[in-house]
Amino acid sequence: MSVSIAKQGYQLGHGHDDHDHEQVIYQETRDMRLLGFVLFLCSDVVLFSSFIFAYIYLRTTVAPIWPPMIDGHQLPRLDTAFAAVNSVVLFGSGVTMHYALENWKHGTRAMYNLFMGLTILLGAMFLGGQAYEYAHAQIGGWSGNTFGASFFTLTGMHGFHVFVGVVFLAVLWWQSSRGVYDHERYFGLTAGTLYWHFVDVIWVALFFLFYLW
Amino acid sequence: MEGLAGVEKIIALIGAIVVFIFALIGLRGEWKKTGLDDQVTKLLLGLMAFGCVLVVLAAFGVLPRGGGA
Repeated sequence: MSVSIAKQGYQLGHGHDDHDHEQVIYQETRDMRLLGFVLFLCSDVVLFSSFIFAYIYLRTTVAPIWPPMIDGHQLPRLDTAFAAVNSVVLFGSGVTMHYALENWKHGTRAMYNLFMGLTILLGAMFLGGQAYEYAHAQIGGWSGNTFGASFFTLTGMHGFHVFVGVVFLAVLWWQSSRGVYDHERYFGLTAGTLYWHFVDVIWVALFFLFYLW
Repeated sequence: MEGLAGVEKIIALIGAIVVFIFALIGLRGEWKKTGLDDQVTKLLLGLMAFGCVLVVLAAFGVLPRGGGA
């Protein structure tokens, strides 16, 4: 089906306008790539879900009280106020990324650069905040108890996704400055935006589970 | 430390309200679009706005129940 449409596009474009031909091919491959990328995000949802349900199981079934007791002392709760600020930083980066893409679509390059730069900066700030929290969390180590194991595994996995996202966005920014994308063909920027929103939404779940529950 | 937590909560509250408003404006702009990427963006922006509501509840001390740091 897809090949035949591509051939039709080629035949239509052949002898007419190369731009139209390329546009047909681009549109078709864009749809395929978009579907593939959304499926990739779905697979990441499954990955996080399995760890999240393991945490819920540990918390509700294995540990009689939460935070758990270590050597006769109950571990303290995590610092909700600091995490709230860090969450706003990450959510803010999601909004700036959305506006970066919108400005790219509308051809306002200066605003695109501003919002893209802000997104990367806020993403890096979130990672810094998470590193600070790791250094100051009084919940034992990675392997000391169920709380520490769950917290460091899930937030570490999320932090790795944020790190990959920051690198991803930096590469996209560099590519867009080199003319890899134009205002009609910008699939990479769309994928980067979806990925960044996804990372934000995973944090919504983790913020609730570790700090508010 | 209590004072610092208070400042953090105020920053979180103001930031969450600002981000929530801009997320809703972005969501409104996406609302009539029908592509797959647009639908996913709508879902994710909506959930992000929900995250801002959670931050507001945390800043007011509604969550977690029983206090928190």
